Parts: sequence; structure tokens; C-alpha cells
Amino acid sequence: MSKQIHTTEVVLEKALFKFRPFWFVIFALLTAFLAWHASQVRPEASFTKMIPTNHPFIQNYFKHADDLSTLGNVVRIAVETTDGDIFTPEYQKLLQEVTDEVFFIPGVDRSGLKSIWTPNVRWSEVTEEGFVGGPVIPDTWDASAASLDQLRTNILRSGEVGNLVANNFRSALIYVPLNEVNPDTGEALDYQEFSENLENLIRDKYESDTIKIHITGFAKIIGDLIEGAEQVGLFFLLAIIITLLMLYIYSRCWRSALAVLSCSFIAVVWQLGIIKLIGSGINPYSMLVPFLVFAIGVSHGVQIINAIANNRVDGHDKFDSSKLAFRGLYIAGLTALVSDAIGFTTLMVIDIAVIQELAIAASIGVAVVVLTNLGLLPLIMSYIGVSPKGTEYTAKVRGERHPVLNFFTHFSRPKYAYTALVVALIGLGWGLYYGQQMKIGDLDAGAPELRPDSRYNLDNQFIVDNYSSSTDIFVVMAETEPSQCIAYDNLEVMDRFSWHMQNTPGVQDVKSVVYVAKMGGYGLNEGNLKWFSLNRNQYVLNANTSRTPPGLINPDCSMAPIIIYLNDHKAETLKTVVAAVDNFNQSYQQEGLELLMAAGNSGIEAATNSVIEDAQYEMLLWVYGVVIVLCLITFRSIRTVICIVLPLMLTTIMSQGLMAVLGIGVKVATLPVIALGVGIGVDYGIYIYTKIKEGLEQGMHLDDCYKYALDSTGKAVGFTGLTLAIGVATWIFSPIKFQADMGILLTFMFLWNMLGALILIPALARLFARFGKQIH
Amino acid sequence: MGRITAWSGVMLALFGLPTVAAETVTDYDVMLTPAMQAPKASTATLTEITKAGSRQVAVGDFGVVIYRDEDAPNWQQAAVDTSVLLTAVSFANAEQGWAVGHHGVVMTTTDGGQSWQRQMDGFDFIELQIEHYKQVAEQLAEEVDNLPDNSSFSERDDLEFQLEEALFRAESAELAREEGPTKPFLDVLAIDSQTIFVAGAYGTLLRSTDGGQSWEMLDQRIENPDGLHINALTYGQGSVYAVGEGGQIFRSDDQGDSWIMLDSPYYGSFFEVFVDQSERVWVAGLRGNIFVAEHADAEFEPLAINDRVNINQIIDGPDGSVILVGNAGLMAQIFANGEMSQQRHNSGASLTDIITNADGSYTLVGQRGVLEVQADLSQASQ
Repeated sequence: MSKQIHTTEVVLEKALFKFRPFWFVIFALLTAFLAWHASQVRPEASFTKMIPTNHPFIQNYFKHADDLSTLGNVVRIAVETTDGDIFTPEYQKLLQEVTDEVFFIPGVDRSGLKSIWTPNVRWSEVTEEGFVGGPVIPDTWDASAASLDQLRTNILRSGEVGNLVANNFRSALIYVPLNEVNPDTGEALDYQEFSENLENLIRDKYESDTIKIHITGFAKIIGDLIEGAEQVGLFFLLAIIITLLMLYIYSRCWRSALAVLSCSFIAVVWQLGIIKLIGSGINPYSMLVPFLVFAIGVSHGVQIINAIANNRVDGHDKFDSSKLAFRGLYIAGLTALVSDAIGFTTLMVIDIAVIQELAIAASIGVAVVVLTNLGLLPLIMSYIGVSPKGTEYTAKVRGERHPVLNFFTHFSRPKYAYTALVVALIGLGWGLYYGQQMKIGDLDAGAPELRPDSRYNLDNQFIVDNYSSSTDIFVVMAETEPSQCIAYDNLEVMDRFSWHMQNTPGVQDVKSVVYVAKMGGYGLNEGNLKWFSLNRNQYVLNANTSRTPPGLINPDCSMAPIIIYLNDHKAETLKTVVAAVDNFNQSYQQEGLELLMAAGNSGIEAATNSVIEDAQYEMLLWVYGVVIVLCLITFRSIRTVICIVLPLMLTTIMSQGLMAVLGIGVKVATLPVIALGVGIGVDYGIYIYTKIKEGLEQGMHLDDCYKYALDSTGKAVGFTGLTLAIGVATWIFSPIKFQADMGILLTFMFLWNMLGALILIPALARLFARFGKQIH
Repeated sequence: MGRITAWSGVMLALFGLPTVAAETVTDYDVMLTPAMQAPKASTATLTEITKAGSRQVAVGDFGVVIYRDEDAPNWQQAAVDTSVLLTAVSFANAEQGWAVGHHGVVMTTTDGGQSWQRQMDGFDFIELQIEHYKQVAEQLAEEVDNLPDNSSFSERDDLEFQLEEALFRAESAELAREEGPTKPFLDVLAIDSQTIFVAGAYGTLLRSTDGGQSWEMLDQRIENPDGLHINALTYGQGSVYAVGEGGQIFRSDDQGDSWIMLDSPYYGSFFEVFVDQSERVWVAGLRGNIFVAEHADAEFEPLAINDRVNINQIIDGPDGSVILVGNAGLMAQIFANGEMSQQRHNSGASLTDIITNADGSYTLVGQRGVLEVQADLSQASQ
């Protein structure tokens, strides 16, 4: 950048400042139009958007999704008594009432509803004449001690201990399958409403001093997520208020503070309006984007009003002040924003729709900030100007450098510079060391979306502790020729596979049609366990599998899911399971039988993890590639690029270390944050560097250049870093775990990028100067 | 199993080419594939547990055999050359033992249960049946031919029917060559290191008098024309007992050469026969049906048991009592005076066998693998 004003800049500047009313009308119209669209944006949670749809696991799953539907959508309600066991008249009466209540909640698949009080739960026994059985609740039930005794016996012989009755007999379960689509009305299940019904009609109504209700299931997670997402609006409001206060403290001018805030807010409105227009939506993951756009808007806006205030102090009128501010920051701002926008689009390489939506939303948002905060803001300021009080304040603080700011001036001097660089190297070492321990995927048990100590996860823990069935399910699909799914040879391989998986660390249990066939052998041979085996005779096998529950084989018998229950869904566990399946497939190959991964929540997570693991470095390469190329084009100096990019890399590496230390996994929610962090961080570097370079070009000494940079853009960088960090830090309190993780990481990155820019850029410049090189 | 791949491995090794470590099995057969070494072997479905000297040995699904020495708490898995569901195990002494299972498999060990070799598989068993029935048919044909002309019509008719039956059985055994073995063995009894009995489905009864080298079929020596299952064997007071479907109880006082059918008190299935420390003979089976005879020639008297579930095994308990286990977690003790105490294992799992540990507590096996209970049958914390 030279002292002469760039030609395009002149053209733009003229176009903008000559026709101010015209632009105002345009901005006003666009804002009204987009605000209307933005108001129609609703949070959505689409399952298919959260998974890598092109991964082979998911492709296999989609192929059989219809046949697997009966396995999935279930809510479990445990009714616990803290007073004695379940064999009391009071408890049984209550359990009956709760079961009846659940029966009438819209969305429940009533025919599949199970508890010991539903007639479909039966005991059976082999007699000399064949099978006999009956409902678990005796026909003669009268709540007497005798019928309670009978109930206990029936429960034991029904095989429901660990399923519908807790292993310790202190709670019983209601198993509630759901209809995704209401069979009468054709309407999709409203998860939020269903979840609220569970809270109001079941939990609130029946919980007491001695009765505890525990509810788990996908529908409950979604309900809790949407409920949690509603709090995000509150965080946004909080962030706005904090920012406004900080802006005022910084500028001592309500006008400029409100102008920056409004322009940033307009950017958010535009961004939301545009994503609605292009048919994209907002999901729990991309809810971060409005914050980000707002943050970036404020960051650039502060630079503008800072420049305007300084220009005012220099004696320019409000029109010229704005125009000069525009002129001075136009290139830096545009470079920063363009690199942000392009940097964010690199997230598109990750084949997961929510991340791609986030990438698009963020890129659009940043592009919009160019218009609102580099265009609209100077225009507004050219009318309203910085208040006299603000100008006065700027003049006052310009003379006396703030002690904190003064501290930073040292970093262009050798002693401080080298110390800072050594500290940075130590930080780098720390990041590299711990970063290696960074894990892919979810690290906590239960629903990873929610906090470990959330109501949901406590409930989940209760059910895991007291019942035998895990909620982490990995499904392998055994694919055969039609009508061959229960052929003897296939079942025999599936049986060995089941045993192989059963002995894999992290696996609790394995169930499939093979188990049904073996149980059939046991049951049809008078309950003699010595017949718990497959038989080569196909007619015997067909008879043994005649009681196969729906979902364990598909209608044309070409696929049988093998359901693997896991201890947890930690990435390590999933990797072990996937490796065990691969290992088996390599060791045993049977013509006409394929054991395909993967469905079930854990199967899908395994696919997601593998996509994320592959994408994480690819994404960083792209982001840094784009930032480096753009900086090179703008500044045409390798050393400049090094000065700007090295501090960013330090932040990236240290945040990986931080993730490992805090136990935050790389997952759909956190992967984009690293790219976003680079995007935001580059702004700081560019603003500071621009001013240092300007100084150097004027022949100033490096120390003075840096002081000059600190006084102009540096101050603003420090301010924005702090403000934004506080703004996103509100997310740490989100009930949604991944949003809290995002909050922690972004706070860290905003702060660290700010410090990196303020400390390491001058330090690196000093290092180059030592070798007789200028940094430009 | 991968015979071809194994062979190609040998060829590669011979010709100095790099051998590929991972063998791919393309023709898996549960009968011929060695049991997988399984960390959770002791949680597999287990069918029987017995003692080899002071060592405990249990068998079950997936070819699992686990053993532990009396003072060692941890189970070890034996190397077993099959993966079928093993249904029974019996030791002649501390070293030599036999185990049988589905698909007509007979396994043997000579090192106290640490490693097991296949002595017979289902295909051998099919050949044995073909040979046996052909021989029976030949013999019958000869008898028919040699019948004096003045023999009664019914005598001739009877012999001809038997001949037809034997030919039919030989023929079905030949057909089974195609389908593969389908008849499981259900119990094994080693009387000494040479004399072993095996009982199984559809009236199968085998004997070896040479430590399992060769086997003869005794099916025709018991009165079981409908080929009902023989579920259990036991040995006591010099007699061999066999019980099974349809309430049948057989006894042989000459090591299996000839069998008599005892009067049965019941028409349902028996799963257990046992001669206790006081020489009483117990039979038990479906729906809690349990009968005891005061001595070998006494009548069987019924005992009442509250839980109408299958009884699978009976052993000697302290002070002249017996302990029995059954389905749905049934555990009971019948004292010498006839009184009974009954419990349910919390797991509700079917229990198939029980043995006494050195300290008087018990080790149970069943649907959920190994379980431990205290001497008074109360449940140890797990």
C-alpha cells in the first residue's frame, strides 16, 4: 500500500460518499426485506444433515434404513422407588397408572408399548403338553401378598429381569416405541411437544419423595436440545449488552457504540435472511454463526470508529473523518474479510451437511459484514459523527498511553521480543505434546450433546446401571441373497461373528436372529439348555426362528441386523469395534453373506468420526492455504505472511492441546471452530501489521512503528479480542454440551489470537530486523 | 476350515515365498474350527461343570472349555479343536476326560482338560450309523432267511418290520451325508479310562471300550422303538443309568451290554438321573418333577417342589442332603429328612450344573456362564 490512494479505492470511496442518501435507501430496503425473511428462520434438527451421507457406513445404512426403522426410536421411562422394592401394592398401582398415562400420549406406538402392566409382556413355560404362559400380571391380581408373590415368580420366568425390571428390583421400565409419522394424520412427530408431555404428564405428575422418574431416548434428547437452543437467544442478548457496554467504555460515545452495534446487528439480520432465501436453515451447530458474524462485525466496526475518532482529534470534520477512515482501513478490512469468507468456505471439504451449512452461513455472514461495517458504518458515521465527548476522550487517551497498552510496546524490543518468542515456543511445545492426545469424537458417556451432569445423562446413567440393555448401539447388517438370511451356513458364520464381537473390549452384548434361533432351539426342546444351538436341518431352523420379533430380519429375508450393545460411544471404543468387524471380515468370508457396517447411533458416530479424522488436517491445510495466498497477494512479502500466520498457527496448535487437556473431542461441533478461529485471528494480524508496515515505509524505527500501530489499530484489536471473548464466553453456560465446548474454544482463540497479534507480530518483526531484514 | 489356504501356506513356506499371516476361512464349519480364544469365555452359555482331580472344568457354547485349579480364582480357557455347543463333560481320572456336543462331536483330553482333540465328528458318526444299520439289516436278513418254515406269521412279520426299519435308518444316515450331522449328543459318562458312554438325541446311545478309539451303537439294546432322546447318564453301585424323553429310565448292570427298562413314575422328560451318597436313585426333569427311589430296586416316589420349572442337575450336598438346580434360577436343597429349602438365583438364568468348592460354597453354570453362591445357597456378591 502506498501513500497514493489506490484507483479502485478512489472509485469506491467516491461512489460511496457521493451518493450517501441513495445508499441509505438501498440499505434500508434490503434490511427490511431480509429482516422479514430472517424472522421466518426456525431452528431445525435434521438427523441426515448431521451425518456424513457419502461414507460407506451411512450408504449401507441408508440402503436398509426402512428395515432398520423399528430398532430406533424408543423412549425408556424407569419408575424407581426409593422405599423398598417394586413388590408393593402402592408401587404396582402407580406403575399401572403411569403405563396408562403414557399410552395416551400422542406419538406413542401403542401396540409396541411394553411394561409389566401391558398384556403383551408374558411369561412362558414348557410343560408336558407344550408351551404354557400368560401375562406377567396374574389374571387374579388383587394386590394381595399372594398375587405379589405370583407376580415375582412370573417376572422371574418371563426373562424380563434386566429388561423391564431392574436387576435390583427397585425400579421397572416402560418401553415406549414412537411413531415418527402419525399413522392417522400423517404428521411428523413433534419432538418438542412430545418431550414436554413426558415432563408434564409423567415426571411432574408422578414424581414424589419415594418415586423417581428417569427418562431416556432420542426423542428426549432432541426435546432437551431444542429447549436448550432456546436459551441461545438469551446468550445473544447478553452478548449484545456486554458488547454495547464495552463499546461505550472504549469510545465514551453512545453514538458510535450504537452505530457499530446496529451495523453488526444488521449484518446478522442480512445473513439470516439470505440463508433463509437460499433455502438453507439454522441448526444447533450453526447457531454459532450469528454470534460470529456479530463478533466480526464489531471487530471491524471498532477499527472504523477508532479511526474516525482519531481523525476527529486530528481536526477533520465528521464527513472527512469517515472518508479518511474508510480510505485507511479499506484494504486491510477487505483482505481480512475476504480471507475469512474464503477460509470459512474451505469447511465445505467436510462431507457433513451441518458443517457445510455452517460454512455457507459463515461465509455469507462475513461477506455481508463487508457491506455493513465497511460500507454502511462509515456512511452512518459521516452523518452522526463521533460525539464531542468521545473525541475529547480519544484525544485524552492518545497522549497518555494506557499502562496495559504501554506494556505491549516493549515487545518490539529485543529483550521482550526474544522472551516472548521463547514463551511462544514453550506454548508450541505444550500444544504439540498435548495435541497428540487429542481425541476424535465424543469422550463422555450418555448423550454427548448434553452435559454429563444434565438431567438426561443422569437418567441415562441410572438406566445403564440398573438394566442390562445399553443405549449405545452399533448395528452390523448381515446381507444375503433373498430368503437366505436364516440359511444354516449364514447363521453359523453370524453366530461366530457374534461371539467374536461379544469378546471385543467395550461390547456388552450382541443380539440378532441367531440368538432367536438358538433360543428357539432351547425353547422348542422343552427348555433344555443343551439345545441352545443352531441345527443344520433348515426345517428345524425355520421352526426355531418362527418367533423372530419384527426388525430382526427384513421382509424378504435378505438382511438381518446384528445389534451390538456397547459400554459407551467413546471414539476409542468405536474404533476397536470397527477394527474387530474388519478383522472378522478378513478372517471369514462366506459366499453370499456380507457383514456390512454400520447403523445404530454408535455405527453412525463411527462413520462421523472417521470422516472428521480424515478432514481435520485437510481442513487446516485449506484454511491456511487460503489465508497465506490472500496475504501474499495483498502484501507481496513472504516475511509479512510469516509474521501474520505464525501466531495463528500457534493458537491452532495450542487450542488442540487445550482440547486434549479439557477432554473436548474433535467432532462435528468443534471441528469448524478451529477454522473459524483462524479466520477471526487473521483480522487482528492484518490490522496490526498494516500499521507497522505503514510506519516502516515512512522510515520510522521498528519500536516507533509498533507504538504507532498500537495507538491506532492495536488498541482496537486488544479491545475487540476482549469484548468478543467475553461475548462468546456466555456460551460456556449453555446447557448444550457442544455449544459450551464451542464457547470455551472460541473464547480461548479470540484471546490468544489477540495476544498473538499484539505480542508475536512485533517480536517476529524484531527477529527479522536482527538479521537485517525488513518485514515488508 | 481353510484346509486349502493352510495347504497353500505350506507350499509358500516350502518355496521360500513370504507367508501371509492372515488366513481367510471361506468354508467355515463350526464342527471343524478350533474354539476362539475368548476373554469372556466364562460368560458363555455353559452346560456342565465337573472335577478332574482337584481341577474344575466347565464346557459350553462356542466350543468353550474353561478350567481352574481349586485354589485359583481365575478361569483359563482350554485349547479345543471344535466350536460346537458342548453339552456334557466327564472325567475318568484327573487327566483323561471326554466332552460331547452338537453335530456329533466327541472331544477328549489327556492333560486334565487343558487341551482337547476331536475323537469323533458328526460325519464319522454318520458313517458309524450307516455301518451299524447295514450290519443290523444283514443280520436280520439272515435271520429271516433262516427262519424255519413252520415259524409263525407274526414272528416273520416282526422280523421283516425290523429289517425294513434298519434299512430305512441306514438309508437316512446315508442321506445325512449330504445334509451334514444334525443329531446332538447330550451326555457323556466315563466309567474308567477305557469305558465311555455317550447319549444323545433320537435314542442315540454309544459305548467305547478302548478309550474312545472305536465306538459301538447300543441304540438297539434299549427298548426305545420311537427313538426318544436319551438326556442323561449316570453311574452308581456298579450300574449305568440312562434317562430321557417320555419318562424312560434304563439301567444296565453289565457295563452296557444289556439294559432293563424301569417302571417310570412319569410320562414327561427326565433331564437328570443321579445315585446319591446314600445309594438313593434320583430322577428329575420337566416342570419340577422329581422322584426318588430308596435303593436301586425300590419304587420311585414323587417329591413336591413349589417351582414348576425344569430340574437340570442333582449333586450330593452336606449331611446326606442333595442340591439341585434348574431353569429360571432354581436352586434347592433336599435334606436327609425330606425337608426342602428353595431359592431363586437373582439372574433368573437357567442353571444347568453345580459343583461343591473346597470351602463348601458352590460354583454354578448355566445360561449366563459361571455364577458363584455361598454354602447356604445365598448369592455371593458378583
